[in-house]
This record gives sequence, C-alpha cells and structure tokens, in this order.
Amino acid sequence: MTFSLGLTLAQSGFPELMAASTLAPYLFVSAALFVIGLVGFITRRNLIIMFLCTELMFQAAGLALVAFSRYHLEHTGQTFVIFVLTVAAAEAALALALVVLLFRKKDSLSSEEWREMQG
Amino acid sequence: MDHLINPFLLFLGLAIGGLGLCAALPRRRVNPRVLGVVLGGLGIGIVLLGLGLKNPDTLPNYNFYIFAAILLGSSLRVITHPRPIYAALYFILAILASAGLYLLLSAEFMAFALIIVYAGAILITYLFVIMLATQAPSEDKLEALADYDIEARSPIVAALTGFVLLASLTTMLFRGAGDLPTPEAPVPDALLAQMPNRVTPEKVTASLTRIGELQEGEEFVSLDPMTSTVTIRGLEGERIVPIPAEMQVKNVEEIGFDLLNGHPGSIEIAGVILLMAMLGATVLSRKQVEFEEEAKLRQSQALSAAGTVFAEKEVRP
Repeated sequence: MTFSLGLTLAQSGFPELMAASTLAPYLFVSAALFVIGLVGFITRRNLIIMFLCTELMFQAAGLALVAFSRYHLEHTGQTFVIFVLTVAAAEAALALALVVLLFRKKDSLSSEEWREMQG
Repeated sequence: MDHLINPFLLFLGLAIGGLGLCAALPRRRVNPRVLGVVLGGLGIGIVLLGLGLKNPDTLPNYNFYIFAAILLGSSLRVITHPRPIYAALYFILAILASAGLYLLLSAEFMAFALIIVYAGAILITYLFVIMLATQAPSEDKLEALADYDIEARSPIVAALTGFVLLASLTTMLFRGAGDLPTPEAPVPDALLAQMPNRVTPEKVTASLTRIGELQEGEEFVSLDPMTSTVTIRGLEGERIVPIPAEMQVKNVEEIGFDLLNGHPGSIEIAGVILLMAMLGATVLSRKQVEFEEEAKLRQSQALSAAGTVFAEKEVRP
C-alpha cells in the first residue's frame, strides 16, 4: 500500500490525470455532506438553521462540481462554482431579510409558527 | 460490474452513520450526542476505509482524510448544535475544510473565493441575523434555549430517509465510477496561444534570464504553447527547454478565460440575480419600519403586563 505523503497541498504546474477511484472518495464526501444538510433541513425547526442547511447542500454541490472539474481537467466546473456562490449569496440576502421580518411578526424563529401557510 | 467498494461494507458503514446521526440530533430528555458523533464518524470511516481497501494505489492525498473528517464532523455539528450561533461558527469551519478540499483538487482560486465570499460575507450576514433575531433571555434563566432548538422534528424518519438516499446515491456511484472512461489529457498551456500579450519575447527573455536558463550569447527564438516548450538559439545551434514555471498558465487565468470567454451570458444573468436579490432585500427591509411600531406596541404591552417573555406570549392572541 503506497500512501502519497506529499507535504504540499497544491501541486505546482499543471495537474495530472486522476483515477476514477481517487475521484470516488470526493464524491462520497459530497454526497454525505448533501445528506447531512438534507437531514438538518428536515429535522431542525429554527428558520436560520434551516437556511444554514441549504448552504451545506450548496457546498456539497460545489464540491462535486470541483471534483468532476479536476477529474476531466476542465475548468467549467470551477467556473460554475462561482455561479453557485452567486445564487447562495442572493438566497442568503433574501432569506435572512425574510427571517428578520417573520421574527418581528411572531417573535419566534420556529418554522411551526407558520403552519397556516401550508395552504 | 466493477464495484469500488464491497457493498456489505458500504451498507454497514451507512447504517452505522445513520444511527449515529439519528442519535446526535437534539432531543429533550435522553441525549446521547457523544455516542452519536462517535457512531457517525465510525460509519463514514468504514466507507472511506472500504474505498481504500480495493484501490490502495490510487488513494487520495492523506490531507483529504483530514479535511473530509473536519468537513463532515463540523457539518454534523451544524445540524446538531442547539445554539444557532455555534451552528454558524461550525459552518465557517466546514467552509474552511471544504476550501482545503478545493486546494487538493487544484482549484486554488475557488478555494480562496470560497473563504472570502462564504466565511467572510455570507456567514457574517447569518451572524448578524442571529444576533438580531434572538429572543431576549428571561431573567431567571440566562442560558435559556428556545423550545424549537431543543427538540428535533422526527429525527428517526429523517435520518432513515437521508441514509436511504445516500445509500442509493453511493451504490450507483461506486458501481459506475469504476467504468468511467479516463478523460483525454488536455494540452496544459494551450491557452497561451490566445494570450499574445502575456508571452511577448521581452517577458519570456526576462523570465528565462531570471531562472538562469538563458546564458551569455543565447537568445529566445519562439515559444510553442502546444508542447509547453521554448526554443533558444545559442552559439552551437538551437535547443528546446520547457516553459519556465512563472510563464505557465495559472488556475486563475484558466478560470477567468473560461468565465469570460465561455459564459458571458451567465455573468449577465448572475448580475441580474444579484440585482433582484438586492431589490428584494431592500423592499423587505423597508417593510420592517412598519412592523417596528407594532413591535414597540407589543413591547410596551408586555412591560405593562409586568411579565417576562413567557408571560407576553400568553397575552398575545
């Protein structure tokens, strides 16, 4: 068993091709991160934490994008993470403005307070 | 079919991880949080080890395991910590760890952009909102936690669904990933052909002199981006050397080129999204002024009722 004990984080120069079995652990971490965010979104009842969990899911998507971009040695995946960041920033600004508004109205961050909105 | 991991090990790890997540979620009475975290880590560890057992020669850098452990552990804490402010701080830790993973994937620019934009901007907004929208603690219990933070909603069902999803995702992934065709190696410095101002003869000559490649009496002839080589003419004829490291195309240049050359329309759309978000946030926060009067009214009512936060809740219809 050969461990690559490289002491530097990033290689210098152009990266080499990556085996599919090296890609798989990254994709597993990304999937696990997504599921953790999903479970958090379902179980937590605090509005702020629910939005934090969506950000976790954004992170998982970004990690998968960057991993595939590294695997194919193409930069479109990394470029797309910029747009993921944009959407996350827009979502955070809007959602948090809403959360403050809702908090002023009910004096509580609980998502159960807005039960009547379920139509 | 080529499996990257023994399916038995995969499902064992996922089941243990699911149990751990379920145990770690906040609960009112019995709260085996430490046990849950240990179990969750064990489950993830079994899967990662199982991935390593079958392909010992193509393991990722050992830094990957460190960052993955920090990332998954802190994201687990984000969803299990009862206090929102700590959840946000753990989220910053998760961001830093995933920036480390980006570095390992040689996405240097995105790693730092992630830290600046996420940990520096978005999370600060979250922290502000947490400070703005937190109930004042009542006098007798300074460390009061809100009711909705203490108890998770249906943790067992959620953990079960989540890990069934993860199991199906990873099963497909690990069965198919071994069959992925290896991509063709692209030409590293091909972009240089499209950036004539970056590789002017003066710049290349200066760079070659700096690294000591260009000796007395030699001169730079040409640069070939397709083979990443430089031709130098000396006294005894021409020789070919690799492009100096500082002349090679950097990650930032590649991303910038891809962004502006390949996706100009997407940039416009991203700008429109940000503009809309700004307008929306402005409209929403203008409304806040109207509510402020109402909140003041409520506050004075609560004060006149001489009650704590809990008493005020009962007064309101």
